[in-house]
Amino acid sequence: MKITKQARHDAKQLFHICKVGGLMDETRVRKVVGAVIAQKPRGYVGILTHFERLVKLDLDRRAARVESAVPVSEAMQQSVKANLALRYGRGLAVSFAVNPALIGGLRVKVGSDVFDGSVKARLSELEASF
Amino acid sequence: MSNLLQEIEAQISGVKTSVNKQNVGIVRECADGVAKIEGLTDAMLNEMLDFGNGVTGLALNLEETEVGAIILGDYLGVHEGQEVKTTGKLLSVPVGKGLLGRVVNMLGQPIDGKGPIKEDAFYPVEKIAPGIIRRKSVSQPVQTGIMAIDAMIPIGRGQRELIIGDRGTGKTTIGVDTMINQARNNKVGRESGDKTFRPIFNIYVAIGQKQSNVARVIAELEKAEAMGDTIVVAASASDSAANQYMAPFSGAAMGEWFMDNGMDALIIYDDLSKQAVAYRQVSLVLKRPSGREAYPGDVFYLHSRLLERSARVAEKYGNGSLTALPIVETQAGDVSAYIPTNVISITDGQIFLETDLFYQGVRPAVSVGLSVSRVGSAAQIKAMKQVAGRLKGDLAQFRELAAFAQFGSDLDAKTQGILERGKRVVEVFKQPQFDPIAVEIQVAVLWAVQNNFFDDVAVEKVKDFQAKLTEFITTRKADLLAKIRTEKAISDALAAELKAAVAEFKPTYDVGKPKAPVELRKSAETPRKPDQSK
Repeated sequence: MKITKQARHDAKQLFHICKVGGLMDETRVRKVVGAVIAQKPRGYVGILTHFERLVKLDLDRRAARVESAVPVSEAMQQSVKANLALRYGRGLAVSFAVNPALIGGLRVKVGSDVFDGSVKARLSELEASF
Repeated sequence: MSNLLQEIEAQISGVKTSVNKQNVGIVRECADGVAKIEGLTDAMLNEMLDFGNGVTGLALNLEETEVGAIILGDYLGVHEGQEVKTTGKLLSVPVGKGLLGRVVNMLGQPIDGKGPIKEDAFYPVEKIAPGIIRRKSVSQPVQTGIMAIDAMIPIGRGQRELIIGDRGTGKTTIGVDTMINQARNNKVGRESGDKTFRPIFNIYVAIGQKQSNVARVIAELEKAEAMGDTIVVAASASDSAANQYMAPFSGAAMGEWFMDNGMDALIIYDDLSKQAVAYRQVSLVLKRPSGREAYPGDVFYLHSRLLERSARVAEKYGNGSLTALPIVETQAGDVSAYIPTNVISITDGQIFLETDLFYQGVRPAVSVGLSVSRVGSAAQIKAMKQVAGRLKGDLAQFRELAAFAQFGSDLDAKTQGILERGKRVVEVFKQPQFDPIAVEIQVAVLWAVQNNFFDDVAVEKVKDFQAKLTEFITTRKADLLAKIRTEKAISDALAAELKAAVAEFKPTYDVGKPKAPVELRKSAETPRKPDQSK
């Protein structure tokens, strides 16, 4: 659907309200959405659609996905979380997944940054270098 | 012992590949050769992006939440949800002498099926033009082989000369003739063993053209044995708009390699109107704001940054040069449209081709009044300056008086003289396509015209007279031509030799009866015949 410039602007402002100490606060987000639906200002569907997109992008930016070939031990998980917090600050939502295609090693994706130390990646790098 | 172990351990850990940080994004939308990518937070402007499967893209729009990128290569393989990586590199093309004789696409990949290319280096496609201090003024000529141009609108090495006209007026032909002449001059120069000789290499960039046209140009170049000194960069009409938009920049990068290495190159952009249209398409799909005629606001910058890269470099930096002959197509002769006025203000002169002249039989249809070369006679050899210096002014006078030509004998002798000479000069400048004339022959013929040897030849026989004179001089007076070529100026001795040669040829040619002037008021003057019927 076509979202007007005004709706985009309003959604951006609402998103800024939801930030507490630089991080997005979930309770505030819920309150804002409830308030908009209750009051139904002009073009509220467009505002909410764009707001949802901004929230999604923010969640993606602070989502870390750690893939490994075999399940990772609890201690390893804690150490990975600590290292990521060191680099990216708090507020990261770290999730762990198992991907046998990696053969070995870890692939960490934080937002747009990818740290690929898996065996599969090194093999394909080797292949590309020929 | 433990030292040794430590050393080995350190070396092993050094050899282990460290994990690099990559920046990725997901394709959110892909349409019309443009992909909108979410993520890619570290993308930089004009950075090369890797879509996988050998498809690359260029990040052109950096927005708050996404990156707009054009896809160079097969965009059909890109789908929504695909992962895109940044490469941290600028788009570069292979450059070097290994490209000569080859036909390549915008990325420098060969499309003529003659095997891989051995490049000397990779040059970035977008580069800042040489600065003011690096440049030198233009003083060496580029001989196009077309008499009308070499005599009156001379082009120099490092100049930008625009070729502008309607469709079908001979713009590409001028470019192809110039390339053929460079190849011929290169051959003569190399065989002569002259140490000061500098060859000119050609680059022909075909933008948005029919592939049959490009094939025809290549066939003509091969027939004239000019492909060995030419690179053809083809982004034909079936290529994506992104390829057509970037192809001139690839060609310029290839030309810059020659310029940076002390050599001379000539690049022909055929044509820039189609590049502007392709850029308009790309900009509109990227949702950039549009301006006049729906072109984006920076269409002037598109052409100015391309043409500023053609320059003549000072001796300190190698003395190389890159001459540009951009071609722009006008609609119905409207040179005050947006793109033509933009490019005219950027280039150092223009060659106007008019449809009226073309259909009158004047081919090349160069409009002498509107064409100009801002470098002028600084780019002519002295011999040419001596014979052609006054031609432009004489032809201007002729055009002014041409309206009175219909009055025939009612004009004074001086005006008649100007008219007759003008008609003959126009005839002499007519030239068939793909047949460039060497500069020494041009000098000889123009010398003959200026010294009244053509004045008693009937206008319709002038071309034939010129052809026979050329044949005579080429076969019997080859040493005279060689002298003109090496000395580059007409000394008194050389002038005497020329006079002797032409005087020797003249009596052998039947000049034909001059046309009798039309007699007015004839019925009042001739006696009437008596009525026979009686």
